[in-house]
Amino acid sequence: MASHLRCEQILVRFGGVVACDKVSLDVEEGKIVGLIGPNGAGKTTLFNVLTRFQAHDAGHVYYRGELIDRKRPHEMVLMGMARTFQNINLFGEQSTLDNILIGAHRLTGSPIANMYSLPGSRRRERELARRAGEIAEMLRLSGQLDTAVKHLPYGFQKRVEIARALASEPRLILLDEPVAGCNDEETAELREVVKRINRELGVTVLMVEHDMSMVMNCCEHIYVVNFGANLAQGSPAEIRANPSVISAYLGQEVEA
Amino acid sequence: MAGNEEGVRPTGTGRSEAAIARLKRSFAAQNFVLVVLFFLLLFMMPFAPGFKGWMAGQAALVIIYIMAAQGVSILTGYTGLVSVGHGGFLAIGAYTAALLTKYFAIDLALGVLAGGAMAGFVGMVMGLIFLRLAGPFMAIGTLGFAFFVGAVVNNVPLFEGRDGISLAPNRIFGMQIDDVGFYYVCLGFFALVTLFVFSLVRSGVGRALKALRDSEKAAQSSGVNRLFYRTLAFTISATITGAAGALNGLIAHYVSAEVYSDIWYSVDILVAAVVGGSAMLMGPIVGGAFVALLPFFLETLADFSFILKGVVLIAVLMFAPAGICEVIARPFRAYRRRRLERAAQGERGPERPAPPVAMVRKEANP
Repeated sequence: MASHLRCEQILVRFGGVVACDKVSLDVEEGKIVGLIGPNGAGKTTLFNVLTRFQAHDAGHVYYRGELIDRKRPHEMVLMGMARTFQNINLFGEQSTLDNILIGAHRLTGSPIANMYSLPGSRRRERELARRAGEIAEMLRLSGQLDTAVKHLPYGFQKRVEIARALASEPRLILLDEPVAGCNDEETAELREVVKRINRELGVTVLMVEHDMSMVMNCCEHIYVVNFGANLAQGSPAEIRANPSVISAYLGQEVEA
Repeated sequence: MAGNEEGVRPTGTGRSEAAIARLKRSFAAQNFVLVVLFFLLLFMMPFAPGFKGWMAGQAALVIIYIMAAQGVSILTGYTGLVSVGHGGFLAIGAYTAALLTKYFAIDLALGVLAGGAMAGFVGMVMGLIFLRLAGPFMAIGTLGFAFFVGAVVNNVPLFEGRDGISLAPNRIFGMQIDDVGFYYVCLGFFALVTLFVFSLVRSGVGRALKALRDSEKAAQSSGVNRLFYRTLAFTISATITGAAGALNGLIAHYVSAEVYSDIWYSVDILVAAVVGGSAMLMGPIVGGAFVALLPFFLETLADFSFILKGVVLIAVLMFAPAGICEVIARPFRAYRRRRLERAAQGERGPERPAPPVAMVRKEANP
């Protein structure tokens, strides 16, 4: 299988703190890959480097073999990468439908031609709204399409963010703690959603997650980072059995 | 993505989706009819009994104010950027039209377009310069821009400083026009700008601007190019205000530095946009009319209007930060939202089975 997203020896310093200390990882195309590690291990920083929100001091990032060290965040979306945020980052005043439609930005065509709402752009708008409806259906948001997202419960907002990411029709989606703060029922539901995104839409998934039931159940390959550096990698079973991972992070919870 | 879901959609949703789409279409039609009626009213105004010639000139000035505020609202309302220097674009539009009319005797309509284009070009350059400045720093930058324009028209001989440039009576398509004629020219441009703003904010471009306004990070992670869209917003905004400036210069047949280096122009049109509610189509219309008509209604107390404007601005920012129109529109919006929610819930019901789980099961046992 080909490499979809790869980073080599990523180094990020914030003043005297080394957030990422030569971290490398390789996300294979078509897989669900997990990134775990204790709090402050540099997972989110690495995520921001991969999505180009954070500049790195050394190392390289490759997307499908192409060097993307100098790309800007919006260019990654054009290349087929979408992301969600750890702390939900939605357009609160706007409706669920509008939030999903913003996700579809890369499919809206030329802005200069779009401003005048000519028949061509209006046809495209209708098509985008129809697709947004389908994505909402998949994430069980159909009844909330016209509600301002700030009025939605937490679990719904999490799903709106995934819906918005999916609307750009990505090939790779990066989920930053998709089930953080969700109850068991919501977690189970999101687990199925992630699997469906991967299986039915063929989207590669890389997720940072603290919920071990989610990671062990979904991911085919797991990377563990600690103190900003690679600690281990392997299948869920291998990670579960790895003594250094257990001592660094998992403790007794591995029984799950 | 489409193909995967067609077959498994639960029955019933199709009908309620159609009902929602119908509702949305009828809301949009209602809005459109209201806007058309408003313009029809303005079109008929000169035919009203008791209408006098001088009123046309005053009404044209009100429309010019509104257009300038519409330009500002593209930035403040839809993009979330504050410009305290749009008087500079007003001046650029006015001087461009005046100089072209004086030296090349160009048509009125062409003068307005040229004024808008020149202001738009400068707006694009300014947009690129101000891109790296955030919030209050950008506002101060735009203020500096307005002072810069004021200094240029005061001191560069071409602009004839405080003596000003006097112009011959206006001609459009070869015809000489009076105040009523100029009123209709203004009304025509006003209608064009309103139609454009109406379409812009509902397009993908408007969506991208609003996304940048609400969360730059989320907008970028959705693929919105911050640099491009902020510059585009600046360009469009400056073009509209510049066209208003061209009309402002041509209606008076006179453009002078005494008028256009005055920073209060910038403040007035910003106040007009903010008081009315700059994220709404009606906002700059109500706000522009308020600011333009205030000194007129106060008559002998015209100087008092500065104080009253300040009081109203503070009151609006305290009690209705989204503008007067937003407060007026609130019950109507709530009513429409309720109707949409009823339509959405109507046939769906809250306890509909969960499609994701159901579909995964279906796949597991075909």
